[in-house]
Amino acid sequence: MSAETETSSRVATRTYKPAMPAGWWLRKGHYFWYMVREFTALPLALWLLWLLYEIQRAGRGPSGYYPPSSTPFVVFSVICLLFALYHSITFLRLAGVILHFKVMDKPVPSGLVVASQFGAWLVASIVIGAVLIGFGR
Amino acid sequence: MAEKRITVRATRFDPAKDSEPRLQSYDIPFSDDSMVVLDALNYIKSHVDGSLSYRWSCRMGICGSCGMTVNGTPKLTCSAFLRDYWPGSITITPLNNFPIVRDLVVDMEDFMEKLKSIKPWIIRKQEMPLGAGEHRQTMEQIDDFRQFSQCINCMLCYAACPVYGLDDKFLGPAAIALARRYNLDSRDQGTKERLPVIAHSDGVWECSFVGECSVVCPKGVDPAKAIQQTKLDTSVRFILPYGNRE
Repeated sequence: MSAETETSSRVATRTYKPAMPAGWWLRKGHYFWYMVREFTALPLALWLLWLLYEIQRAGRGPSGYYPPSSTPFVVFSVICLLFALYHSITFLRLAGVILHFKVMDKPVPSGLVVASQFGAWLVASIVIGAVLIGFGR
Repeated sequence: MAEKRITVRATRFDPAKDSEPRLQSYDIPFSDDSMVVLDALNYIKSHVDGSLSYRWSCRMGICGSCGMTVNGTPKLTCSAFLRDYWPGSITITPLNNFPIVRDLVVDMEDFMEKLKSIKPWIIRKQEMPLGAGEHRQTMEQIDDFRQFSQCINCMLCYAACPVYGLDDKFLGPAAIALARRYNLDSRDQGTKERLPVIAHSDGVWECSFVGECSVVCPKGVDPAKAIQQTKLDTSVRFILPYGNRE
């Protein structure tokens, strides 16, 4: 059968395509936590913008610079920290799904990949913390 | 002892009469604990309302025909037991994210086109003569792609994927998982032919890793894993000079 004949022999059928509701992410816990994971990038971005502003302020010299210490700023920073931790933990856990490699022709278990990611995160945090505290003294 | 009964609500849509789908309620006997949702639909069709339309075939979780949304979750209706819902009621709607043709039947055309686009077969640069023997594989080589070859094309993953729901140009979970199945097969040499489709902006990069596709898969395939691993592989191929080698 030629393409034209095949097309013309098809009976046009009217279908109904339901629209995706705006609240689709409230249908299931899985969808909701996915949205939370994606949303956590927003407060992190805001905090980093604030950090850029502080660097620009500190660039004027030590005289007259004072670090922000108001209660709202501390609360904002703690909330951002919680979001950052959630984002980091979910991101590193997903590394076990994404990274796939073999050692001695055997696939490395995803649990080991995730553990190595968390280990690297811990080491990096300790090094950065030590550098910041060292420079602060 | 009173007969156990269960209320089943099913989507009805007649394209010749209805402007939009509606739910119709049926009160049917729940006579046997081994009854599945598909049995309930078959009971309705045989004893209550013969005009109810839905797809089914094997009744044993192999053909992938009877996928529908049961109480909001994409399921193979032949594997969803009534006892898991009773004494509550059951609402059966067509698979989300697909156009409804009639009642519980959806239009599969878009999925079929996507499946075809990733060339789900072994591609060889040059076929070996039959006399040269089999393409032998080790168990480790088979393990590389085995889980991705379990897909039965039931489309539950597409129904669970909000990315596909929001933008149906997305290649989708099953097609990408199947592409990965062939790309990982040691006998296959067709990765370069599949790359333009899977590495396209409507391919793996459209996915934001919701992960629900892997949750609903009735065969234990992990399409989310296939997609993320393909993202990594295509990036490596792009960045590293040796990446474009076969």
